[in-house]
Amino acid sequence: MKFDERTYAAWLAFAEIPYDSLIPLIHQIKSAEGIYSEFKKSGSHLHEFIQGIPHERLVSTADEDSLSAFHRMLQDHEIQVLTILEESYPHCLREISDPPAILFYQGNLSCLKFPRKAAMVGSRAASYAGLKAAHKIAAELSRNGVSIISGLAYGVDTESHLGCLDGGSPTIAVMGCGLDQTYPSRNDPLKKQILAKDGLILSEYAPGVKPIGHHFPYRNRIISGLCDPVILVEARIRSGSMTTISHALKQGKEVYAYPGDPLSQLCDGNHLLLREGAHYFTEARDILSDMNWLDNIQYVRQNNVCPSMKLPENPSELAVYKALEKGDLGFDELLKATGMASSELLSTLTVLQIRKMIDPLPGKRYQIRND
Amino acid sequence: MARALSLGVSGVNGFPVHVEVFGVGGIPGMEIIGLPDASVRESRDRVSAAIINSGKQMQPRKITVNLAPADMKKEGPSFDLPIAVGVLMVMGELIPSPSYPSDRTAVFGELSLDGKVRPVHGALPMVISAKECGIENVILPAENAKEVACIEGIQILPANNLGDVIHHIEGSALIEPQKQISYEELCKETVVTVDMSQIRGQQAARRALEVAAAGGHNMLMIGVPGSGKTMLARCLPGILPPMTFEESLETTRIHSICGRLAPGSGLMVTRPFSSPHHSSSVISLIGGGPNAKPGEVSAAHNGVLFLDELPEFSRGALEALRQPLEDGTVSVARIRHQAQYQSSFMLIAAMNPCPCGYFGSTTHTCRCSPQEIRRYLDKISGPLLDRIDLQIEVDAVPVQEINNSSPAESSAQVAARVAAARMLQQDRYRNETFHCNAQLSNSALRKYCALNTETADLLNAAVESMHLSMRAYNRILKTARTVADLEGADNISSAHVAEAIQYRELDQKYWR
Repeated sequence: MKFDERTYAAWLAFAEIPYDSLIPLIHQIKSAEGIYSEFKKSGSHLHEFIQGIPHERLVSTADEDSLSAFHRMLQDHEIQVLTILEESYPHCLREISDPPAILFYQGNLSCLKFPRKAAMVGSRAASYAGLKAAHKIAAELSRNGVSIISGLAYGVDTESHLGCLDGGSPTIAVMGCGLDQTYPSRNDPLKKQILAKDGLILSEYAPGVKPIGHHFPYRNRIISGLCDPVILVEARIRSGSMTTISHALKQGKEVYAYPGDPLSQLCDGNHLLLREGAHYFTEARDILSDMNWLDNIQYVRQNNVCPSMKLPENPSELAVYKALEKGDLGFDELLKATGMASSELLSTLTVLQIRKMIDPLPGKRYQIRND
Repeated sequence: MARALSLGVSGVNGFPVHVEVFGVGGIPGMEIIGLPDASVRESRDRVSAAIINSGKQMQPRKITVNLAPADMKKEGPSFDLPIAVGVLMVMGELIPSPSYPSDRTAVFGELSLDGKVRPVHGALPMVISAKECGIENVILPAENAKEVACIEGIQILPANNLGDVIHHIEGSALIEPQKQISYEELCKETVVTVDMSQIRGQQAARRALEVAAAGGHNMLMIGVPGSGKTMLARCLPGILPPMTFEESLETTRIHSICGRLAPGSGLMVTRPFSSPHHSSSVISLIGGGPNAKPGEVSAAHNGVLFLDELPEFSRGALEALRQPLEDGTVSVARIRHQAQYQSSFMLIAAMNPCPCGYFGSTTHTCRCSPQEIRRYLDKISGPLLDRIDLQIEVDAVPVQEINNSSPAESSAQVAARVAAARMLQQDRYRNETFHCNAQLSNSALRKYCALNTETADLLNAAVESMHLSMRAYNRILKTARTVADLEGADNISSAHVAEAIQYRELDQKYWR
């Protein structure tokens, strides 16, 4: 039985052959199907050719049953294949030192041709402030035609993708496992949302490959390789996000670090980068102007004038709002600042929340909403 | 052959037991029949020792003791005293005076080897059932006398030792009857163990506690370790309205059976506060064991059941709480026993916001991933959460606050407001089967919690902007009703609803 080229590509990619063995092989034989027939024809002969590479998985899956399983997974999940030989293979990836030979994708491939792409990375267990920052930055960049690339993990990744979708630009997710896997399990709806909004989901791993720990740091080179600049939202020094940054620095990309709370250990990675010379920014506009992407006139004008905040009219609402202007406060502190009774303050807080003027924070704290 | 009247306990109810003693010549010994358990069977040795130590003779006879009705299990050492009386009579050592009403006097109590009478469990239910059966006098251990002193229409005769009982029956020295203590008198002795004035800061939680007490709502507190959740919960019995006489009888009855009453104490006047450890089994919470004893939920009847570290309780234990929370009673069925115990309590639960405890803390960094937090919260099932109206966050109080702040309101002040709100509810629901806001069913909600247009708009806007569920919607209505009652308002206003919305912390977006 004969299969299509992408099935053979899946077979080849499933073996996870190191790129310095796989790239010459692909360049020599030109097609995955060719490699398969060569492999079948002279298993022992080919053995010399791919000497020194772990090819047990090539052997164990080189039969019709496995191939039809691959075929079914590709069909079921509408997964397409892009090899380094093809014209549409992203140019920026060819330039990195270890490009993936085969890419699997779902969705809209033309996202890769987007001229403006920025990667946003950060912790899965970020602070609430960090998550909000990620959402806000992503949304503003996206509104100005920047596509956001991230890793579909929980926390900062999720907020970055969501922010980008809110801003209207398509977003790109690079995964560390086969595209048929539901990983991370609760982000399945997000995946569907990304695809529904013309986004792209990429992976160098064949369908059926499980999310294994060491895939993710290695996958990060694709995230940084696809874009410029790379933005660190909130990460600790020892974290996966920092590997993306080191890939980005090796690849010669611009690195931005968001200044987090200096007292919080959750963003000591940001502060390390800032001290070592990463770009400092506080809002998306800083990045846009650095990158010369500030052509959205309306946006520029809006941001040049001081934002005229609507103030609440009701005196008790105003008192709470004024108290929060100096920074976030806990419930007891608010009581002291406003001199209200508990019951009155509670109901005022609800009204302000409904009006979207303040946000609740964990631990019964409140802050002014600033977007 | 001699007869003595005594009492036994089954479930929360007592029943009369006739102790029949028969003696013949033969190999000396004593046999007890009529489904006695081990502690009843052992009583023959206590009885003979106590008789000899009371200065009477134990003649060598073959004695048979029958506990009728013979088909009900008898347990506990409370039959020692009636058996001793019967044995003395059958041996001719004790001749009742003609004025002793033996068929209208019940006797129970445990004997020690030296003839002293020791207190027993379940005195209250036994005396209540004795009164119902038309028994006029009860001779019981002196230490149990105060427990039953509130019951009218029955003469309580407290005995210190077997000698007292012998003299009373002979008519040589009558036992001084226990003076009746009225319930009101007992209530004066009430002591509040933890007072609200001892709590510093925590204004939001104080208010929530007041609302919970006023409407009888169950409450969940979420907060970092050391934020004072347990102390807040302990304040609750002190601000709830005092127990009525009937409630006190119900609760004391259960505590009497479990042996939880302190020796020499009277009817319980403060509401019980039961805080089982999170390793508790289903049986210890709900009740059971070989004798189908009441569990913690029944010990908390008319009071507070406090579950600290809620997610650490086993799933089975938490799910088992659903029936008592819904019905206010729990049925415990075992092979030989079947019992129905009352268990209408307020559930106060406390938990950390995440496994490490510091999610949202301003002083510590939380090390939990969102999945871990999710998993932690998911340990509490939706149906259980559905029965908890108030969910509040409790943040730790800063150290300087603890030292500086002026003393806060006392429990008595809060209790006065709570009592007023409860009065309003009792008046409003006088024709209904329920008596507080927490018990409102969905159909009753529509009847008693109608909103005007402005208020309904506010609630709808909140549901939309804060992504509240339909489940939350009904809870908010109930709580808003209580907030209005605290203010003495007839109708629910927007401010009441707005405040009630703040008690739905788990619906806040950062938990999702």
